[in-house]
Amino acid sequence: MQTNVITKIVGYIIIIFIIISLNFFLPRMMPAGPLSGLTSSTPPVLEQYITYMVDLMHGDLGWSSSKNAPVWDVLIRSMKWTLLLVGSSTAIYISLGILLGAVSAWKKGKKTDVGLLVLFIVLAAFPPFFLGMLFIIYFGWRLDLFPRFGAQTLYIDYSTAFGTILDILHHLFLPALTLTLTSIGVIYLLTRNSMLSVLDQEYIQTARAKGLGEWYIIRRHALKNAMLPIITLVALIAGLAITGTIFVETVFAYPGVGLLVSDAIAAHDYPLLQGAFLFFAFAILAVNFTADRVYELLDPRVKED
Amino acid sequence: MKQYKNNKLGLVGLGLLIFFLLIAVFAPYIAPYDPHQRFDSTEHPNSEHLLGTNHVGQDILSELIYGTRVSLFITLFASIAAVGIGIFIGLVVGYFKRFDFYLMRLTDLFLTIPKLPVIIIIAAFMLPSVWNLVFVFAIFEWAITARIIRAEVLTLRHRNYVEATRLFGAKDSHILAWHIFPYVVPLVFVQLVLVSRYIILAESGLSFIGLGDPTAKSWGMMLHDAFAYPTIFISDLWMWWMLPAGLCIVLTILAFTFIGYALEEIVNPSLKKSPWI
Repeated sequence: MQTNVITKIVGYIIIIFIIISLNFFLPRMMPAGPLSGLTSSTPPVLEQYITYMVDLMHGDLGWSSSKNAPVWDVLIRSMKWTLLLVGSSTAIYISLGILLGAVSAWKKGKKTDVGLLVLFIVLAAFPPFFLGMLFIIYFGWRLDLFPRFGAQTLYIDYSTAFGTILDILHHLFLPALTLTLTSIGVIYLLTRNSMLSVLDQEYIQTARAKGLGEWYIIRRHALKNAMLPIITLVALIAGLAITGTIFVETVFAYPGVGLLVSDAIAAHDYPLLQGAFLFFAFAILAVNFTADRVYELLDPRVKED
Repeated sequence: MKQYKNNKLGLVGLGLLIFFLLIAVFAPYIAPYDPHQRFDSTEHPNSEHLLGTNHVGQDILSELIYGTRVSLFITLFASIAAVGIGIFIGLVVGYFKRFDFYLMRLTDLFLTIPKLPVIIIIAAFMLPSVWNLVFVFAIFEWAITARIIRAEVLTLRHRNYVEATRLFGAKDSHILAWHIFPYVVPLVFVQLVLVSRYIILAESGLSFIGLGDPTAKSWGMMLHDAFAYPTIFISDLWMWWMLPAGLCIVLTILAFTFIGYALEEIVNPSLKKSPWI
């Protein structure tokens, strides 16, 4: 059991090391990379590598030419928007996905079930940026219900905190909806399948025979046991949603770290791209690591592996 | 085969995929123009250009037809390469105990590494080309296949008929090729479909944020061009420039989803797991 945990932690350390090294070596390996013009007076690679590591520890990620600011500052400024977008969508698609998955399994074969199933399978086939574009056209331009870009109204000074919050939520709605709808399918289907197999079990029959209410059985007996396989995959799904923000933020010009990725690519601003890369890579690793731990806490069987 | 024929969803998926494959193969015969040929820019649909022309005056219908080629080429080549690597590693690891520890740690490593960010950063530093995209996807998509094949081989290698073949003095390579590989073929097909589904989604995203090959435009690259055009949403341009390319991506992904569903039901009838993770 101890060795299992240690192997995993060592694995994470190796991956962090690989990610940082990748970030260092990529610009130096590419034939026409941004550093190809450097002269021979540059220090040896090992020396550069050590300097790079030390700088990284101090939060020095280089200078962003397109934003004309240190990469670290740019990242910090953008991070809150990405966290708001991913956080709100993740909370919604996980809770709603589990709820609808349970309802679907309960109403198996009925209209509700078939309708939800078709809806979510089709939605999951939409690339986030394409769905986002359709929303901008319909809700943004046609109906003019929501802002079409950004996270706040520019050049407007709201006197009340309430007005500011309302404005932020108004801007958040479409990007969050896009991210939620393109991510919810996996967790919905997972819950549905997991619930279906649990509802077949004998102890559910027993509970029914005891005369317990249907909703009580779903909540207390079925969902509880159906949750384990779902938790193993929550990390994977959260990972998908985190990378999904790159595309959603690009479409809605939502000023988070995801927008920095496409901005940096368009402007050939490699230090900024590398900084954003570190952010996304570490965010996903953190989610995976947490999910691993939570799963171990919930299911003692895992430790015996 | 017979089981697949009875699965309506599977047939719809297969039909859609074959439709797009035919368009990809016969693109030069179907497309009205060379996709690089230039006319007046942003023309509305007319009898000469059924879907109008784009910002530099290329016929959008021809672009869409050739885009089918690029999108499917990247998807199929990359998924075949990725699944190929996965099969090889899975077979070797499952059959020869010696390599198990190190290769499985390597597989775990590739499973934990944040795939899409890594793919994006590598693609950004390489020259944008179709082959480079195939290469990156192949390198980062093999791990799940390897793990699934290994699990299957582990159960197969202790079956009586395999032990018997070994007692008769058959070489390991012979046993792997003739007595183990045929039994993992159904799993290989499921993996091919699931990996393809992921790659076409990821490829369209990469092209959309500007990492596609500008000389061989995929559907994602068309959406990139359309989205960058200043008045795409205000005018009606999106209807024939953006919508068809986006719908093609959606339909291809649905095709892979349906085929995956049908195959998974055959391979694994008791466990109807979600086919599109």
